[in-house]
Parts: sequence; C-alpha cells; structure tokens
Amino acid sequence: MAADTRLRSLRDGLLARLRGRLLTALAAVTSVVLVVAFYYPVGTVLIEAVLVDGVPTLAVFVEVVRDPFYFGELARLFAGESPSAVARDLLGPDRRLGIVGFTAYQAALSTIASVALGLPAAYLLARFEFPGRRTVRSLTIVPFVLPSIMVAVGFVATFGTNGTLNAVLTGLGLPRVDLLFTLEAVVIAHAFYNAPLVARVTTAAWESVDARAVETARSLGAGPIRAFYDVVAPQVYPAVLTGAALTFVFTFGTFPIVLALGGFELATVEVFVYRLVRDLNYAEAAALAIIELVISLGVLLAYLRYEAKNAVRSRGAMPLPRKPLIPQSPSLRGLFTRFGLAAYLLLAGLVFLAPIASMVLASVTGGDGTLTLDHYRFLLDRQRTGAAFQVRPWPAIRNSLAFASVATLIAVPMGVVVAVLTTRRYRGRKLVDAAAMAPLAVSGIVVGLGLLRGLVFGVEIAGWRLAATGAAAIVVAHAVAGYPFVVRTVAPGLAGLDRSLIESARALGASRARVIRDVELPLVWPGVVAGAAFAFAISIGEFTATVVLATGADAYTMPVAIERFIGRRLGPATAMGVVLLVVTGLSFVVIDRLGGETRGL
Amino acid sequence: MDFERSATDAAAEATDAADSPPAVELDGVTKRYGDTTAVDDVSLSVRDGEFFTLVGPSGCGKTTTLRLIAGFEEPTSGTVRFAGSSVAGVPPEARDVGVVFQNYALFPHMTVGENVGYGLNFADPPGGVSRDERVAELLALVDLPDAADRDPERLSGGQRQRVAMARALAPGPDILLLDEPMSALDAQLRERLRVQVRQIQSKLGITTVYVTHDQEEALAISDRVAVMRDGTPEQVAPPRTVYRKPSSRFVAEFVGDNNVFAGRVTAVDAPASDESDDGAARTAAIDVGGETLRVALGGDGVATEGGDDVAVGDRLTACVRPEYLRIGAGESRLTATVESAEFLGETTRVTLDWGGRDVVVRTRDPLSGEVAVGFDPADAHVIGVDRA
Repeated sequence: MAADTRLRSLRDGLLARLRGRLLTALAAVTSVVLVVAFYYPVGTVLIEAVLVDGVPTLAVFVEVVRDPFYFGELARLFAGESPSAVARDLLGPDRRLGIVGFTAYQAALSTIASVALGLPAAYLLARFEFPGRRTVRSLTIVPFVLPSIMVAVGFVATFGTNGTLNAVLTGLGLPRVDLLFTLEAVVIAHAFYNAPLVARVTTAAWESVDARAVETARSLGAGPIRAFYDVVAPQVYPAVLTGAALTFVFTFGTFPIVLALGGFELATVEVFVYRLVRDLNYAEAAALAIIELVISLGVLLAYLRYEAKNAVRSRGAMPLPRKPLIPQSPSLRGLFTRFGLAAYLLLAGLVFLAPIASMVLASVTGGDGTLTLDHYRFLLDRQRTGAAFQVRPWPAIRNSLAFASVATLIAVPMGVVVAVLTTRRYRGRKLVDAAAMAPLAVSGIVVGLGLLRGLVFGVEIAGWRLAATGAAAIVVAHAVAGYPFVVRTVAPGLAGLDRSLIESARALGASRARVIRDVELPLVWPGVVAGAAFAFAISIGEFTATVVLATGADAYTMPVAIERFIGRRLGPATAMGVVLLVVTGLSFVVIDRLGGETRGL
Repeated sequence: MDFERSATDAAAEATDAADSPPAVELDGVTKRYGDTTAVDDVSLSVRDGEFFTLVGPSGCGKTTTLRLIAGFEEPTSGTVRFAGSSVAGVPPEARDVGVVFQNYALFPHMTVGENVGYGLNFADPPGGVSRDERVAELLALVDLPDAADRDPERLSGGQRQRVAMARALAPGPDILLLDEPMSALDAQLRERLRVQVRQIQSKLGITTVYVTHDQEEALAISDRVAVMRDGTPEQVAPPRTVYRKPSSRFVAEFVGDNNVFAGRVTAVDAPASDESDDGAARTAAIDVGGETLRVALGGDGVATEGGDDVAVGDRLTACVRPEYLRIGAGESRLTATVESAEFLGETTRVTLDWGGRDVVVRTRDPLSGEVAVGFDPADAHVIGVDRA
C-alpha cells in the first residue's frame, strides 16, 4: 500500500519533470532539423567559396568582386582604380552595372513600382468603406502565396507575343508590344507579388492611427492636409518602409520570375548562381551566393536598426472613420479623389487579374485562337503514354500534395516552438530569432544544392553512410522554407497575449507546458492555422530548391512540371498552371475548414 | 478624543501573540531589475486569516511585492516563507495561491464555468465535492449562480471581477492575492464590491494580500495596512493607527487629508492633569511661522522616539486631520484666510491660506474671509522630532 503510493508519487514526479522538459526537448528537435536541413547543407556549399582544394583562400571572392561581369564599373574600384574615374564612368551613358549591379537596379525599380502600386490600395482599404472591403483586404495576401512559376506563366500569357495584351491591342488597331524578356515585364511581375505586401502593412498602420490624434491636430489649427502630414504620415511611413525593405530583399533574390520572364539575358544573381551550379562551378556559385546573402542581410539589418529606433506602434483605440466610396455630397476634391481611385482600380485590375485570367484563357485557347481543351487533353495523353523521362501531370500533383502535407506537418510544430522561444525574455533571444529566421534570407539555390550534395549524395558519419532520397530532401527544404511564416503568424499573437492570463493559469496550478496547451495555443490558434496555410502554400509553390533537388529524380512537383513545359509550349504550361491554381485553392479551403477561422500575416 | 482600538485590531494583536508562524513572511526581500530596485529589503509578516493591504503610489513596489509572494518573480535576495517554510524556487503552480489581477485575466476561450473550474484540473475540489458542484458553489459565493455557461467577454466589469475571484478561490488556495482588482471599475461599484470581497474573505477566513493605490480602499477593507514608498514599507499597522498616528510625513500626507506643521519647540509644559490619565501628558508649544501651536506629547506615537524628553529648541513635526480643526474653537488657534472651497455633499472641504501655508478644514457651513480655527492639542499627532 505504502509502496504503491510511493511508486505513484515517484511516477507523478517523473511525469511532471518530463512535461517540464517537453519544451526543451521540442526546441532540441527543432534545432536538429534546422542544422540537418539548413545550416549544415548551406555551410557545406558556402565553405566552397573559401576552401579550394582544402586550402583556405579568398581568391575566389577577390576574383568575383573584381570581375566587371559581376560588379560592372564598381569592380574596377575593388581592383584598385581611382574612385573618381569609376564615378565618372558610372554616371556616363555606357556604364556597365554587372550582374550584381543589375540585380540591385531591378530590385530598386521593382520596389518603386511595388510601393507606387501598393500605396493607393492602402489608401483605398484604410480610408474608404465599400462592399467587399474586408474580402479585398484578405485577398491582398493571395499574390504572396501564389506559386511564382504560375505567376510567370500568367505573365507570359498576358505579355507574350501572342498574349492577351497584344490581342487586345490588335483588336483596338494599336501596334503590338513585345514585353517578354524585358526589364519591364520583370518589374511588373515583381510588383504583382510585392505591391499587395506593401498595401497590407501600410493599411494595418493606417488603420491603427488614432482618430483623436488627428482631431487634436485639427483643433490646434492644422488643416486636413497639414494634419495628415503631421500626424498620419509619420505613423504610416515606417510601414511603407517595411514593405519597401522586404520588397527589395525579395526581389533581390528573385529567381523563377526572372528565369521565366527574363531569361539568361536579364540574369540576376540568383539566376546566375543557378547557372553556375548547372555548370558545376560550385566555388564561384558559392562566392556569388555569399555576396548576395551579405547584401540582402545588410538591407534587412539596416532596416531593422531603423525600425528599432523609430518603432511607434500605438494601437489606435479609435480608428479614423472611413469615407463612403460613393460620396454623398459631390465636391471637386472628392470627385478628383474618386476619379484617381477609379483609374487606379483599372490599372490594379490589369496587373493583378490579367495574368491569372490570361493564364486560364490561354489554357483553353488553341494555336488558331479558337476555344479548345487540347492542352488538357495533352496533359492526359502525356499521363497515359509519357515516357519515363518525360514529365507527367499526375506524379507532379501527387508529389506536390504529399510534399506540402508532410512539410506543413513539420513546419507548424517547428514554427510554434520557435515562436514560443522568441517571444520569451532571456539573454540571446535576438540571436535565436536571427538563427531561426535565416532561412528567409538564404538563397533557395544554395539550400537546394547543399541538401543535394550533403543529404542526397550522402554523408559519411563514423563509417555509416547516411543518404536521404530526393523526396525527403525536398520535404525538409520546404519545411525549412515554410516554418518562418508559421513563426511570423504565431509570434505576434503570443507576444500580444496578456501576461496575466498565463500567470493566472500558473497560479491555478498549471505547469508552464500546460499553460501553452490550455491557454496560449487556443488563443493563437487562428495564427497557427494561417501559418499552416502559409507553409502549405510555400511548399506547393516552392520552385528554387525543388528544381535543384528534383534534377533527374522523379520527385518533380507541379511548379517544376510547369517550368519544363514552359520552355517548349505555353499551352500545356498554362493548363498545368490552372491545375496548380485549382489544387492550391482547394487545399486552402480544406486547411481553413480544418482549422476554423484564419487570419492573415 | 481617544481613539479606541477596533475589534479587528485587537483580534489581530491577539493572533500575533499566539506563536504560530505567519502565513506569509518576507524576510529582507530585495528585488532588483538591472539598476532599479523595485523592492528594497522588505520584511513583513501576514498573519493567518488576515486581510493585509499593500498601499502606495505607483512605482512604490507594491505589485512587485505581490508578485514575489505569488512566485511570478524570485527575489534578488532575501526569503519568502509560507507558514514558516521557504518557498524559494517553488513555481507559482505549486504555491497554493489564488491570484486576481486588475484586468481579471479571464480566459476568453472558455466559459465562465470553465474558467472557474480550470484550477480543478490540478487539484481536487476541497470538501470532497465534485468539480461541477465546486464551480456552482463558488459562483453562488460570488453571487453569480447562473453564469456558468456564459461567455466571459459578455460580462460587465464587476461580474468579471467576481468570476476572477471565484476562479482564484475554487481550488481552495491557502493565500489569496489581489492586485488592484477594483481599479478598472467605477467608484460606486468599487465601494459595493469591496464590501463583498471583504465578506467573502471573512467567511472563508483566507489569508489575503491586497494591493491598491487607493488609500481609502485600503483603510476600508484591511485588517492591517503597509504603506509603501520607494520599495519599502513606511508603516505597517491597522488602518486606524495608520490614519491617526502616521509614522512619517509621507504616510501622514498619503493617507487621507492632513495638515502637517513643523516648527521649533518654544516651551514644554508639565502635565495639566494627573499622570495616570491615559498618557495625555505634556504639551509642547511650537513656533510655526511666528504663531504658536500646542500639541500633546507622549501617547503611543512619539513616546518611543523620546517624547518624554522633547526639549526647547527641538524641531517637531506634527499633524492634525481636517476633521479635528474647529472653527472659532480649540485650545491651539490660528487665523487664516479662505482660499478655496469644494462642496463634497456631507461636508465642505475648505482650503485656508495661513501665511503661505495651506490649511485644510472640513465644515458643514460655507466659510469666507478671515477665520480662526483651532484644535485640541490631544488631537494633534507628533510625527517626529529632530533634536536640537
């Protein structure tokens, strides 16, 4: 009897201790996954840049930095020429930017375009009331999660020689334009992706401006424009900068869009890294990837420092009242604004809806311009009769769904654990945050290559040869690419949780781990579901690492299939794009239903 | 004239006499955050079943003290003991405390009943009743018998406060900790609820530590009060003592309205009446801005400070509550001019200008112009003496 009680208390004590260690254990597992699937592979690739034939050297770097092919006129600066001569040539008409310079240039243009396209949307969403406003606001997240290769197909279908734009222009009797493989097409495609992001963060900031602050300024004598300038703009501006900084970083590392819309003539750093990898020139690829990483991180860091200094996140208790879209009493200024908005809506419709609509249209249009289901029939035929080396649709769909499901199952717990760890207060929290967020900044090519050479080709540890299949490597690559989004959707909810809720639960007898289960997770659940949707979408649309890992294997996904089709014929690529669109859409509905209410980024 | 001890004060002292260890004891407890010291070498003991209040202005360390007791914070140095044994390193969930926060912290994703029952996941309901019975029992105790299925978001502030109280009490904690539980409520509701809180506390006999910045609330609800300032209790005493015999100028001015005078002692009189007469012994004349006021020496307050040997030339600080100042009466007199008046309903609070000093009196009738006010020297309380 007594022994029984003692045994039970012993067991209870042990269980309590185990539960107390649960978080530690989960954190350890997460770290291991990160090391195996990210840090180790990326490390093995990057080390190539500084280790030639086993000897540490900076020669590869120096070569890349001094090569005008990469750095244009700036390379001469690195090679030791006088800065004034370089500056003179840079301002001259025949300047060469080099690949790095061009990448930065197109990223800057894309950022300007995205902000220009995103700000009016933010104004519309934050300041006007109209039916469907909430829906439009939610929809701004959609472009961000659309598979980039699908967007590229949409753009080819819109702006290509036989695209919808030229069809419309011909119909109107206007001259045709050829935007494909031009910088303009790339920049517009980037704006398609990033303008909604700018709009989203700006709208959130604009909505949090307290109406009473504006009213105070007005009562103190400021006119409406002055009040906007003095009160609203300073609160909105940091958000615009957030959107711009993120846009720059995303577009600096762009890959599928440029690959599909720009070709190698407009190669950006990432595209060139891919090319070098294909040519097996790993050392130069690694050096270039490191330079890319340094520039991206530099921009992010500069921005984060700025944000830390200027963070004023007051949540307006009373948001600004929204104006009706149709003015009750027409005034000149009101009409002017509405006219501008109407023009903007037309442009936005063209940029956001035309690519998707064109893709759908192109998928049912034959070479002679008649409606046909030939492209879908082609996919079915290929499925039935395709040779082993050919890309078939069903394995692509099956792989995409399977990879995305497993990747989501890995990414969600990882993301939640990291979110919990990064919202606690302790020394070195920022370091943990940075280490956990690094996958967002590192080139997908490098991750893919590292996994390919590290895991798929096998690692020898203490005489054992460990090798993963291409499929497994793709899944972990996707999980690593997706979990930062889970962190980003879950962490704000956790950080915003009232500390006294947690303390109340603890005072009532719940252990720390139990509080996470009973109080914190249920309250941030919408964020977890949104994070899962993100992780799933990232996986479904991931192209960069997948295309590296799927080489030669039968582990190709829908985006890889589209890329393989797009080179030869647009029709099947658009049909495959529609299939991807439908599958992605359906998956979102399922995740939404499984998890209940969702919430955006 | 003489302030009698209340029944509760006497009871508190009686418990103190018994030799059982205090329910909560802080022994030289200090809490630092970086360079700031939130709680500075605090030693306090809360008796079993006592309603003990920490009161003070914001930033005085009262909430941190409560959090140290709850176990949300660990002291930088010093020891917290529950019933004689140290709780160092014991996490909050193992301390058997019930906590009610200012914002109530009801779990928004649970019903009222689930909130109240949450602590019963980790402890069997006291009294051998079922979980549901216990929840019903507690909801009845806080006068919300039919609220179990309701959504906490749809309750009023006062109702939420009572649910939070029921939730904290459900597992039958040894100690109840309340952190400004009423400060989000309007004044009338606050007064009603504090009566209810005190009734529940008395009924259960649970040791309670209450934190508030509202000195009136502290006086109304507590067995004993600790007035805190800069991380240290300035005075720990029953409400009446704190009110009538503040131990420092800070306490005198923080708790209620007060008139504090300081001046040189010009004369010390021999006792007017018999020595045995309740310590109403000698009086001292002090010179305040050229006028002479008389205050009684001795009694409990200043005697230990050496009230018996106050000498001419010492600097003496004393206070007189406005309600003891009488118009045109009193042994110790001063003449001042009416500066402003606030009509409060039952009384009017009149501020007088006395040679540049503010003097506050309470009257029923309006005052104007120049008035003579006075007080009985025995109604003045000597706060401190600086020896010459």
